[in-house]
Amino acid sequence: MTEPNTPDPDSTLPTATTRRRGRWSLSIVWLIPLIAIVVGGWLAVRNIMNQGPTVTIQFRTAEGLQADETRIKFRDVDVGVIKSIRLAENGPGVTVTAELNKQVEPMLVDDTKFWVVKPRIAGSGVSGLSTLLSGAYVGMEAGKSQQSRSDFTGLEVPPVLTEGLPGRTFVLKAEDLGSIDYGSPVYYRRIAVGEVVAYRLDPDGSGVSIEVFVRAPYDKYVTESARFWEASGIDFSMDATGVKVNTQSLASVVLGGIAFAPLEGEAVGKEAQSMASFRLYGDRNSAFKRYDNRVEYFELLFRESVHGLTVGAPVEFRGIPIGEVTDIGLDYDREARRLNIPVTVRLYPERLTSRLRSTVGNSTAERQHEFVRMIEAGLRGQLRMGSLITGQLYVALDFFPNAPRTKIDPTQTVVQIPTVQGDLQELQTSLSSIARKLDQIPFQDIVNDLRRAINSLDGTLKSADSTLRSVNSDVLPAIKGAVEDARKTLDHANVLLSQDAPTQTELRDTLREVSRSAASLRTLTDYLDRHPEALIRGRQPEDKP
Amino acid sequence: MTTWRKNTFPPGSAAAQGLASCHACGLLARMPEQTHDSHDTVCPRCDAPLHLRKPNSIARTWALVITACILYVPANVLPVMQTTTLGATQNDTILSGAAYLWNTGSWDLAIIVFIASIVVPMAKLIALITLLLSVQRRSQHQIQQRTRLYRLVEIVGKWSMLDIYVAALLATLVHFGSLLTIRTGPGAIAFGAVVVVTMFAAKSFDPRLMWDAIETQNHDRAEHPRS
Amino acid sequence: MTQPTLVACHDCDLLQRRPVLEAGQQARCVRCGARLGRHPYSPVDHTLAYVLGALTTFIIGNCYPVVSLESSGIMTHATLLGAVRALHADNMDAVGALVLFTGFIAPLTILLSLTYLLLPLELGRLAPGFAHLFRLFISVSPWAMVEVMMLGVVVSFVKLAHMATAISGIGLWSFGITMLLMAAMSASMDQADIWRRFEALRHGRLREARA
Repeated sequence: MTEPNTPDPDSTLPTATTRRRGRWSLSIVWLIPLIAIVVGGWLAVRNIMNQGPTVTIQFRTAEGLQADETRIKFRDVDVGVIKSIRLAENGPGVTVTAELNKQVEPMLVDDTKFWVVKPRIAGSGVSGLSTLLSGAYVGMEAGKSQQSRSDFTGLEVPPVLTEGLPGRTFVLKAEDLGSIDYGSPVYYRRIAVGEVVAYRLDPDGSGVSIEVFVRAPYDKYVTESARFWEASGIDFSMDATGVKVNTQSLASVVLGGIAFAPLEGEAVGKEAQSMASFRLYGDRNSAFKRYDNRVEYFELLFRESVHGLTVGAPVEFRGIPIGEVTDIGLDYDREARRLNIPVTVRLYPERLTSRLRSTVGNSTAERQHEFVRMIEAGLRGQLRMGSLITGQLYVALDFFPNAPRTKIDPTQTVVQIPTVQGDLQELQTSLSSIARKLDQIPFQDIVNDLRRAINSLDGTLKSADSTLRSVNSDVLPAIKGAVEDARKTLDHANVLLSQDAPTQTELRDTLREVSRSAASLRTLTDYLDRHPEALIRGRQPEDKP
Repeated sequence: MTTWRKNTFPPGSAAAQGLASCHACGLLARMPEQTHDSHDTVCPRCDAPLHLRKPNSIARTWALVITACILYVPANVLPVMQTTTLGATQNDTILSGAAYLWNTGSWDLAIIVFIASIVVPMAKLIALITLLLSVQRRSQHQIQQRTRLYRLVEIVGKWSMLDIYVAALLATLVHFGSLLTIRTGPGAIAFGAVVVVTMFAAKSFDPRLMWDAIETQNHDRAEHPRS
Repeated sequence: MTQPTLVACHDCDLLQRRPVLEAGQQARCVRCGARLGRHPYSPVDHTLAYVLGALTTFIIGNCYPVVSLESSGIMTHATLLGAVRALHADNMDAVGALVLFTGFIAPLTILLSLTYLLLPLELGRLAPGFAHLFRLFISVSPWAMVEVMMLGVVVSFVKLAHMATAISGIGLWSFGITMLLMAAMSASMDQADIWRRFEALRHGRLREARA
């Protein structure tokens, strides 16, 4: 029915135009698969272009390695993954095939190294701990060769990475390896400045050669005359000079290490060349002992007790150490019918001469002549007490102007230095001689004389008075002085043994540090015990103690 | 092979007219008067097997529903996931997995997992049993709702697979050596079986049987009116 | 659009008649050229577009990891096939087979079979074995669970984010798009119409064969 308002639809309304889309024109929906195909194609192409090189690596064992999971890392950057692990075709071992990123392709050269990083306890500490959690990975270090290569033999031990690091390598010779291992740190003034990179037994088996790498700029402190010593653990020594505790760092106590220092008192020497050879001493003291070329052996004959003297006790000249005791023997002098104790000492005359700054000729005869002169001038050896604490004796060389003259026999192979009695010994002998003398005193006669003297007491009283006065003014202060000295000595001993003695303080501090570390370690392990997942999730806020 | 007779079907239904609808292509075709046991009836258009009603629907559906009920027990009792941390192994059933999500704050996911993996399978089984019983008792109550229930069961069926995918994905990804490793447990197999079996059960149930019951009764009443 | 209808142009408000459109035709406003309606070129035009798109994104989704997990320096990836392999390695072959079938084989079968059937249909031809393959598609359809898998990935993602760093991969987004495209495909597909076309073409061929 037509409505009054609307016009007749049939006649007036236009008809929308129809347009036929071309046979091949598509609706806009087709953009979807089109885009999908384009994106897919681009991803595929990008994948192919980014396809990195494939390498094979031979290892002794596949322990810790898993196909499709174990990554290859270059300087801790993920650069590839192991694709397959097979038994090696020729000989024992495994062949590992790995796919690497395209960027490392230029690094695959002849001397590129691969190794497995597993948890390791080595000289520099425990390394690769993160692999306990993450699983082992294969480390890679690029070589410098120009020859590219695609099959490698993996190393069994991780090399210490020095590639590209500025610094110098030196060779240390030692009798044995001690507690040194790959990666043991090298210290200079207690700063870790390098590490052990390699070691090997010398071809003749008489020692080991250790290669250390010292990083720049510390390598310039390695002068030609620098000394290297093993700084492992704690050096605890107790000898004639007292008690000494010495350690580089808590780390070196556990892990071992090497320290070096230039010789003191020298002008800054020339820097040592790369791969220069040094001797590795056992400890700091032996490193700085002047092992000069000249070593002279002397003999001292003592006729008193040498209780407290040990081999290695120092020989001092006026307080300057110039050698040590090498042998203590016993000798019976048949002619003189007495026992002698020959003590052989080793002296480094250079120490003496350099301090005295006198020029001494190098020939043996000249040196001998020098010594004879000194002996004639009163140079004698004497046993002295080195330390009240340890009761150790040492040999002191000094000039005793009142010493009896002795004749030196320069033809003897080992020159004898005449000796004088030790102070204590002297005291002992003089005390015994006094006792003997006392014995000989005719007391009876003295009493008789005394009776006689009482008669002349009056006369003598006056002189006794004046004597007493002089005692007051002269002798007593002297005694007081002696008592004072004694007290000072005791004070000294007190200070050394007191609570705040630096020795004790250091010891206590060290022990305190250790116990503190142990306590915090215990807390950590306790916590981990209760919340093992904290290793992944970290400490939950509500769990914080 | 069942022989359907025309007057077992209510009037108004296609079966009463001897017409069968192909389940594959929807073509309405006339069923032959006599069926030979050695031949299967097929759809003229698409060659799919043609039946008035799904063959053995009740029996098959019951068998599958009972199987699913039996499998439901191990599916919820046995662990679906095994988490191993530093030597300690923790077993997770579907329920404990949902509880873990709830306790760690993702209550929305906990609800989703709970509904999809616990509520849905149980609801499906209950629904199917209800439908089966209603057909066997020839109940006339609320056929339309029951038909909606059936449609719901069909649609929702596959979403119970959610937990299987979650377990599979977690077991694939969490392989951090001795620190944390997740593996699927035997409960996952049982649960997967439950989902598959209930899907088959829903497929083998013929909802038209429900409608057959009511219209036949009306027909009976029409034929034999009670005074 | 069996009858010409009255329409008002939505751009210029001109009252006009929209004629019956044939395949591939568009109706445009007489005055301002706005499109008033269109008939798809073929009944399966849109469906086929969605199918091809979904097929491509499905393949992409399988090539890239869906989720990656990183914790304390280790990175693990999960692709769909990788997950199946992991289940196989854990001796969970049954679950692996289930995941493989519902997540990979069923969707792939659907997409490939539809491509094979609809592409010739778009061009007006009939692929051989049409009926069997279309029936295969219909019976496998309920078993393709890409959307359930997507929800599973999301739930896993949240669960994993609690323990470590979870990173979504290209695979995740690809599968998401696949899910959407497959939904669009189902929505745009008229099965009854396709069967009718099949029948028409088959009869046409038979008629040709007889002639």
